[in-house]
Amino acid sequence: MLCLTLLFAFTANAQSEFIVTGTISDEFEAPLPGASVLEKGTTNGVSTDFDGNYSITVSNQNAILIISYIGYGEKEVPVEGNSEVNTSLEPSASSLDEVVVVGYGAVKKKDLTGAVAQLDATKIASQSTNSVTDVLRANIAGLSIGNSTSPSGVSNIQIRGNNSITASSAPLIVVDGFIFNGSLADIAPQDIDKLDVLKDASSAAVYGARGANGVILITTKRGTSEKPTITINTSVGFAQDASNQRPYSADQYDDWRVDVFKSSRGNVAAENPGFFDDPNNLPNGLSLDDWLAYDGGQGNPTRVWLNRIGFQDVESQNYLDGKSIDWYERINQTGFRNEFNTSISGRKGGLNYYWSIGRQDNEGITVGEEFEAIRSRLNLDAKINNWLTVGANVQFAKQDTGSIPAQRLQIIRSSPWGSEFDAEGNIRLSPQDDNGAGAVNAFLRRDFSDRVDLDHAFNSRVYAKVKLPLGFSYELGYANRLEFREFYDFYSQASPANLVGSAVRDNRKINEWQLDNILRWNKTIDKHAFDLTFLVYAEKFRSFRTIGRANTFEPSDALGFSALERGTIQTIESEDVTTTGDAYMTRLGYNYDSRYLINFIMRRDGFSAFGADNKRAYFPSASGAWVISEENFFNSSFVNFLKLRLSYGENGNRNIGNFASLSRLAAGNFLNTDANGQAIQVPTFNNQTQENNDLRWERTRAFNAGLDFSFLDGKIEGSLDAYRNITDDLIIERQLPNIIGFDNVITNLGEIENKGIEFVIATQNINKENVQWNTNFNFSLNRNRINSLYGDLDENGNELDDLENQWFIGEATDIIWGRQETGIWQSNEADQAAVYGVSPGDFRILDVNNDQLLDVQDNVFQGYRLPRYRWGLTNSFTFFKNIDFSFEIYSNWGQKRLFNLAKSRDGFIDRTNFWQTPYWTPENPRDDYARLFSNDGSATFNVYRDASFVRLNNVTLAYRFPKRIIEKLSMSSARFYVNGRNLAVWAKDWDFFDPEPVTIEGRSDGIAPNVRFFTVGLDITL
Amino acid sequence: MSLIAVSGLLLTSCSEEFLDAEPQSFFTPGNALNTSEGLNSLLSRALVNVRAEYYGDGAPMITENIFSEVAIEGTTDKAGPAQDLNLQILPDANLNSGNTNRIGWFWENFYENIKFANTVIGRIDDAEFDSPEQRSDVLGRAMFHRAYAYYRLTHQFGDVPLVLEEVTSPRLDFVTTHRDVILDFIQNELNQAVNMVSENSNGGEVNKGVVLHLLTKVNLTQGDFTEAITTASQLIDGGKYALMTQRFGSSAGDAEKDVTWDLHQVENKSLPGNTEVILAGVDRLEFRGVGSAGNGTSVMRQATPLWWRFINTPDGQNGMSDEPNITIDQVNQIGRGIGRNRGTRYSTIDVWQDANNDERHKLGNWLDMEDLVYNAPSLEEAGNSFYGQNLELYLPDGTSLCADTIRNWYGFPRYKLFVADPTAVKPSGGHGDWYIYRLAETYLLRAEAHFWNGDNASAAADINMVRQRANADPITAADVNIDYILDERTRELYYEENRNTELSRIAFIFAKTGRAAYNGQTYSLDNFSQKNFWYDRIIEVTDFYNIPNLKTVFGVSFTMSPFHALWPVPASAINANTQGRINQNEGYPGVENNIPALTTIPEPEKDS
Repeated sequence: MLCLTLLFAFTANAQSEFIVTGTISDEFEAPLPGASVLEKGTTNGVSTDFDGNYSITVSNQNAILIISYIGYGEKEVPVEGNSEVNTSLEPSASSLDEVVVVGYGAVKKKDLTGAVAQLDATKIASQSTNSVTDVLRANIAGLSIGNSTSPSGVSNIQIRGNNSITASSAPLIVVDGFIFNGSLADIAPQDIDKLDVLKDASSAAVYGARGANGVILITTKRGTSEKPTITINTSVGFAQDASNQRPYSADQYDDWRVDVFKSSRGNVAAENPGFFDDPNNLPNGLSLDDWLAYDGGQGNPTRVWLNRIGFQDVESQNYLDGKSIDWYERINQTGFRNEFNTSISGRKGGLNYYWSIGRQDNEGITVGEEFEAIRSRLNLDAKINNWLTVGANVQFAKQDTGSIPAQRLQIIRSSPWGSEFDAEGNIRLSPQDDNGAGAVNAFLRRDFSDRVDLDHAFNSRVYAKVKLPLGFSYELGYANRLEFREFYDFYSQASPANLVGSAVRDNRKINEWQLDNILRWNKTIDKHAFDLTFLVYAEKFRSFRTIGRANTFEPSDALGFSALERGTIQTIESEDVTTTGDAYMTRLGYNYDSRYLINFIMRRDGFSAFGADNKRAYFPSASGAWVISEENFFNSSFVNFLKLRLSYGENGNRNIGNFASLSRLAAGNFLNTDANGQAIQVPTFNNQTQENNDLRWERTRAFNAGLDFSFLDGKIEGSLDAYRNITDDLIIERQLPNIIGFDNVITNLGEIENKGIEFVIATQNINKENVQWNTNFNFSLNRNRINSLYGDLDENGNELDDLENQWFIGEATDIIWGRQETGIWQSNEADQAAVYGVSPGDFRILDVNNDQLLDVQDNVFQGYRLPRYRWGLTNSFTFFKNIDFSFEIYSNWGQKRLFNLAKSRDGFIDRTNFWQTPYWTPENPRDDYARLFSNDGSATFNVYRDASFVRLNNVTLAYRFPKRIIEKLSMSSARFYVNGRNLAVWAKDWDFFDPEPVTIEGRSDGIAPNVRFFTVGLDITL
Repeated sequence: MSLIAVSGLLLTSCSEEFLDAEPQSFFTPGNALNTSEGLNSLLSRALVNVRAEYYGDGAPMITENIFSEVAIEGTTDKAGPAQDLNLQILPDANLNSGNTNRIGWFWENFYENIKFANTVIGRIDDAEFDSPEQRSDVLGRAMFHRAYAYYRLTHQFGDVPLVLEEVTSPRLDFVTTHRDVILDFIQNELNQAVNMVSENSNGGEVNKGVVLHLLTKVNLTQGDFTEAITTASQLIDGGKYALMTQRFGSSAGDAEKDVTWDLHQVENKSLPGNTEVILAGVDRLEFRGVGSAGNGTSVMRQATPLWWRFINTPDGQNGMSDEPNITIDQVNQIGRGIGRNRGTRYSTIDVWQDANNDERHKLGNWLDMEDLVYNAPSLEEAGNSFYGQNLELYLPDGTSLCADTIRNWYGFPRYKLFVADPTAVKPSGGHGDWYIYRLAETYLLRAEAHFWNGDNASAAADINMVRQRANADPITAADVNIDYILDERTRELYYEENRNTELSRIAFIFAKTGRAAYNGQTYSLDNFSQKNFWYDRIIEVTDFYNIPNLKTVFGVSFTMSPFHALWPVPASAINANTQGRINQNEGYPGVENNIPALTTIPEPEKDS
């Protein structure tokens, strides 16, 4: 299986060593702890301690030290035989000297050749964030993050558009060099030092087969000073329903229900004018007796009326008694949130340590909705001697999602005139005795269930770095993920919804390892700097799952899921998965005088899921950059830095499911009877997929051209990127005629193109002693096009579209195609509407060929599901040195979203409540919403609405306590802040909940509440 | 300085085997279809589909009923259910949903069964068998499943693609084959299978009797009436099967009941003493999730009227409640119906005109709405005098007390529809066995064959066997015609037979033979989609499609055309078949692209 080769290396240290010590300070001569001191042309470096002191052993007396610190200009100081070198750094607005992680290595931002975006810890610290995805949202051009409403706060991510049709387009996440396949909710935002996003293929090519959707590299914090640093972050806040969408109140409910019946029983209403009207408000000329006589009604006319509009007896009685329930108030809540994180970090001798532990406890906006996470991280780096460094990054996370929320759907299902309890005080199954319409007590599951839903994840990486002679170094890394997921659930027989109790135990263990062998060579010869990286990598993933179920417990279900064996009906299932992968990668970087930069990468990947004949593939890339501003001829006091980047790279995508190439026999059971008529189980097989031994990697070839610039000493800095990604060998579910017994096969076909522009600019607008103002702006657009699909041609030689999947040659994957509504038929158009089998108040559909038949020939293109443009804008201010204020706005523009709610017939609106939404009536005609219970007639169609929006997402006001107060309290810093997220959204044409969908593509109506968060917090560093 | 040795582990993957992660929790054809058990598992899967027609919400069999004269789609509070067929039955409409219809379900599931059969037939030589008899039993049952699917498809869709091999690589060049070619093929195969399939099997499995029953239908549709009499007689006279004429099973001791009741109780259908069952779908609560049919029959929900709402007492109060465990608990007696499968006046009233002592229409076995009582607890609380009284539809002045007599008011055969549902608060019809083939139908098929052969006396004798068992009055040879045979099928086989398929079969026989029908019409295959017995019969006897201006309370009309005798081929099949042409049926969009159907069996496709 695996062959392990022992590598021996010998190193001789022959040169004359020389020790240099000194102190690094800032412009005010205050010591700078954690500043980097590097011997130029080597990887030999140290950082300063809490008092700004350092000690470094350099190779000779003529070495040059490179001193750097984030936010300060880099400085080169020749040693010139001095054993003590002290210097001070000047602050810099530029971020060009910041170190960017690029996968299996790091470079300075100014030396990058690919499109890489970075977010640093200070940015994260200034916002109150729930999750890693909150950090990324709107801060990086080309990154799309889905909306999140859950208490855990993790959303979908997509980089530079959808490169695939069926494979996942989620980016690869790498944490401290370890490919992270776990849940993003396991990573505490407070532990993050830096986030780097590899957007173009040449950058992502180091991850080859995993890199096609981009890579997000997360670097966690390290100790920075010799004195132990303790940080404490606490915050409390609340979450509330930000939408103004409400169900019909008790007062509105009967009038609305009358309209429902007038429309859904239009024939009755037409034959019996006024039949559904309130007897206290009958139409002119209709007497109460005539009205009653329609159906022989007697007694209390109101009761007769309520009976006609479908009120159940319990509703009628409560209506007459004036007893109503506001289910929105009962089910919706303001969720309390609190978070506590603490960390201790520092450096002692060769040991660098960072340890954090934190707890997050978030309530959602539904009663009982709760998320609890405990996370801890330990980062240790030990420099044993001057050639060996070992370390470990260990992360533990526990997520508890076992709380059972009230059923939020009941806000619109349960009648305000229902009853929650019966005369004996027992909880009733359905407030309006109509569980068939989905109206059940919202709290049944909560009151009669017992649930454990826990996830324990241990992620760790241990490594050893060995410095070898001649500029070589070797790193061995072993990463392991061990995760336990437990879901135990019991639903008691005591619930009025149940006649028997039921329980399930679902256990899953996931274990995965990754082994990295990295050999690096760094050599600087005069102005030539070489950087060579070799990687040998292997991984193995195993998952084991067991699900046991039982119901109908004897003698009782009192033991719940803890005694499945008491169930008279028991079933068990298991599912195990193993996948393996390997890779070799070589990267060669060449840097001439920081002027000409070239990077070559070749990676070979193997993955077990691919067809037997195509398990492996090669992914090359090349990139180069020219720092124009370093040229002798370039002489500008305005432009400080100007770099042109060009890159080409190929990446793969392997997210296709683990056994997509195999023909799978789905196993099941059937029943026979034996000679006594007793049922016996017999096994069944379904050969439901075709085998595809040729299934191969999806491959993206990407070109990127970029320009990085810095003007006015870094006061204006930014970059412009243009890219074109061509993905071919697309892994898609090719539609087959279903007469072969299934309707698709997973295969490689076709080609998709994504091209786009990204623009980022950061400006320092004001930099006075008492006022600083910085602005960050990013803009991106992406255009997507299907170049080819299956290669089937029509009689004219044009390639055929895939109508079943709605994929069209020359169009985007997110294009909307179908019959198009063009408004509502009005009362005077009854005859025209009747042609299509509908009535006034129903949607009018475009009859393209005017054949009075609405079929596939009337389908038209109607726009796109994904935004045509995105932008984000962050402004941050500092007043009087200790007040920070920032706000963030972002916008997605030009996308359309499914909105079939405009058909006004979701659910059983003649038996339940619903959201207050506009609807057409003869008296209040409109053109955007159909009549209640509208009729599609002969047409199959969807309604789409423009979902363009601008959101005020994040506003933070913070106060940093002045030094004199802090020093009295023996702290090194203290900060108090107030933060609001999702404060306002303005949408062009969307007025139902939030315009931004939870999934990135708006394929669902999305009846999801929109959550707004307020947080106050205190950050203290000791 | 000193010499330092550094060691590390360098990994190389020197073997391709590292990437061979085998599937652990599922089987593949390579490792599981080379045994008799593996092949048999495919055939058991085919039976899952055969059974599924009769189970669940919006069960496919309801579509067979509403495309016939026995029922209409009774969901009247919205648009979408198959009522206005001219408007709604289109190739690219939603053809597989409980809310619309299940035309697409039949297409997909029957072709899936053809795949199972083709796989078994194609791989029969890969597997080892204990005996030649075992091999021929497996092969014969595979031929049965292929024939069963094509028999149904050729009656529902007419000409369809004939696929006879397991398709193991993408293929998109299918064409349509003429139904006569297909029917010749399956008749030939069934004739072989009769001698291959074993005589006795587990209950719920295909055996020789099941093959004979299907072969009888195929012989009829082929116009081979004498052969049909022969194959039916093999079943009837073979000694293994007989109509149940004596009380039996779980209800045998209940003097209120009768053999008709016994016969249709789900727990009695697969009893060893039940000699009438030929093939039953087996479905038991205790095997839910591990062999049973989803959530069970749901039959009370589907076929019982929506009796619990919108029915007023004569003094204008809400009369009904579907709450369980109230003083007059009706929901546990008849289930919480939603009236989706709404029996027509024809099947609920007209065919029972001379019922007399017919057990199939006896009070208790059969319930009309007037047999139910006002049971709303609000009436009880108010001391209303109508509480507990039988329902009434009209006030003396003619005012209707029920606004929606389509969905809320019709009679139903409780003896068939009652299936206990012990895990539901409001019963929908729980798990239970269902008849797929039953000897009573064999008698009626033989009666039909005798009729076509001109032997009305024998036909009457067979019909009387079925009638007398139900204690109905016998008929004479003079009474026999197709009208009567269809009526008797309605009385005996309602919510059991595949009514659209069988009515279509008779329509094809009229068109093929050119014989004059009892309605005075003659028919031809040449213009089948414009004029056929299927349509004329439905329009003649039902009270929906033939009443102008009849609308549901929502406002939808009931329309139907002769071409609906053949369903639309789902657009998905046609659209995905880009290199060939699957024909659309006349009357539907897309028919203009048709090419002539094959008149010979297509050559096997060579896998590249």
